[in-house]
Amino acid sequence: MRKLFIASTLVFGLAVCGFWLASAVLTPPEAGAGVVQKTTEPQWSAEEVARHDRPTDCWMILGREVFDFSTYLPQHPSDPDVITPWCGKDASEAYLTKTKGRPHSPYADSLLPKYRIGVLK
Amino acid sequence: MSTAAGALKRIIAPALPLMLGLSGVLWALPHGLPLWRSVSIVSAWLGTGLLVGSLLLMVRVPRLAALLGGLDVQYRWHHRSGTVAYALLLLHPLALAVDGWAQSPQLAWQALAPWLLSWPLWLGWAALLLLMVGLGATFSVDLPYRRWRALHYLLGIGVLCGLLHVWALLGEPGALWPFMLLAGLAMSWRLFGVDLGIAAHAYRVRSVIRPAARMIEAVLEPCGARMKPVPGQFVFAAFGDGPNFHGCGEFHPFTVSAVGADGSLAVGIKALGPCSQHVQALESGVLVRLQGPFGTFLSGWSAGAQLWIAGGIGITPFLAALRRDRCAYPVALIYLYRSAQDAAYVDELKAIAEADPLLALYDVCGGGLPDFVALFGKVSDLRERNVQLCGPVPLIDAAREALGRHGVPADSIHFERFDFR
Repeated sequence: MRKLFIASTLVFGLAVCGFWLASAVLTPPEAGAGVVQKTTEPQWSAEEVARHDRPTDCWMILGREVFDFSTYLPQHPSDPDVITPWCGKDASEAYLTKTKGRPHSPYADSLLPKYRIGVLK
Repeated sequence: MSTAAGALKRIIAPALPLMLGLSGVLWALPHGLPLWRSVSIVSAWLGTGLLVGSLLLMVRVPRLAALLGGLDVQYRWHHRSGTVAYALLLLHPLALAVDGWAQSPQLAWQALAPWLLSWPLWLGWAALLLLMVGLGATFSVDLPYRRWRALHYLLGIGVLCGLLHVWALLGEPGALWPFMLLAGLAMSWRLFGVDLGIAAHAYRVRSVIRPAARMIEAVLEPCGARMKPVPGQFVFAAFGDGPNFHGCGEFHPFTVSAVGADGSLAVGIKALGPCSQHVQALESGVLVRLQGPFGTFLSGWSAGAQLWIAGGIGITPFLAALRRDRCAYPVALIYLYRSAQDAAYVDELKAIAEADPLLALYDVCGGGLPDFVALFGKVSDLRERNVQLCGPVPLIDAAREALGRHGVPADSIHFERFDFR
């Protein structure tokens, strides 16, 4: 078990360093990949997004992109209590880790561009 | 206990965390998600279930330990499930980053960098770091016990942070409810019932003798409800204060060296650490809190001819058995000690051997490992005997190897590990 602890910790540390280096060194791909930032489109700060924290005025951050889900909320299949707490917040992790009964399928991914209003400053 | 029943008991301890982990995975099983996102979800729930199972396995209760095949088996799987859970939980954020990598290295890094994340994710990072430090301390065998124990508590805080991380991300407790309930019960019982000793039995020191250098034997009498230990078992004892004695208050394991008909019991205490060194000054009248009894050592000793091998303080379980009953089958007892000063109970053992024709005593004085070939040459029908080993780990390992070379089947050799870190 000691060996497993040491090996897993080392691999984890190396992997985190590797992701950091890769993000710093590798050039972002061109626009059109879905999450790529466009320098000409609106840019919003996290503070600005945080002001839109109501079910009727609901903005969210997913990755580096900002979405206005105000009109989508009534269509969301789960209990509104599941999604409304994320209004005005960074919901990236919640979006990425939905579980059984609430999977974010490729179909859900395809809906995102419709509600995209810009990128994070 | 039959071999089948014993084998079944040994399956329960690993099965408990595994079942919890698999139940979490079943509840959260992703559908239609990309591969690495699915890996992330599965590793998170499997790791969380194993971690909660590991918490349940740290609860020190005699009935639970007996159900799981002994406290050493229980703690072994506590360590294993906790470490495997840690490795799985490390995989969780890495798998999310790999999933983001498909779109860009920047998105992959955003899934990891704490300063780009929100507080629910900071909780996840705090959980991982606390588990990292706590487990690092757990595997540091040279760390002083008190520092080791303090750092071990970090693991409990890490588990709480991890569960809150999941709760915050889910937006609802969902399947987390049973996990949180079990974790809360296990940690509460461990902290209040075990470490603070609320569930302990109250005893008082009746007498103290010094059978060897740097060793005492204390006879303890119950103040209320009494335990019912049998020879071969051990108890956790925390010594309180007396007129001229101030106890260290920590629970440490001590093997029972005698069981009295009046509910009293005796424990042999060798000065092996700061607390047991301090306890050498123990006096009559001191209050003691006891937990137990634990252990299955010697539980099947009456079945056929025996070979008992004791090293130093490891003589105590055999002494307890010989003090209680005459031997029902032939017993060869090899007692190894470093010097004449360390020869605890030798005179008493010789007197018992003289009175009991079924007991053959071989006491060996000297440092280092003994000449097992010469010793085993004195024991008739060695391969037909059940062997019971109690002593320091290097001695047990060397004896097992020597017994194997002499053709003694591995399933005839019985021993318990007493390293409860």
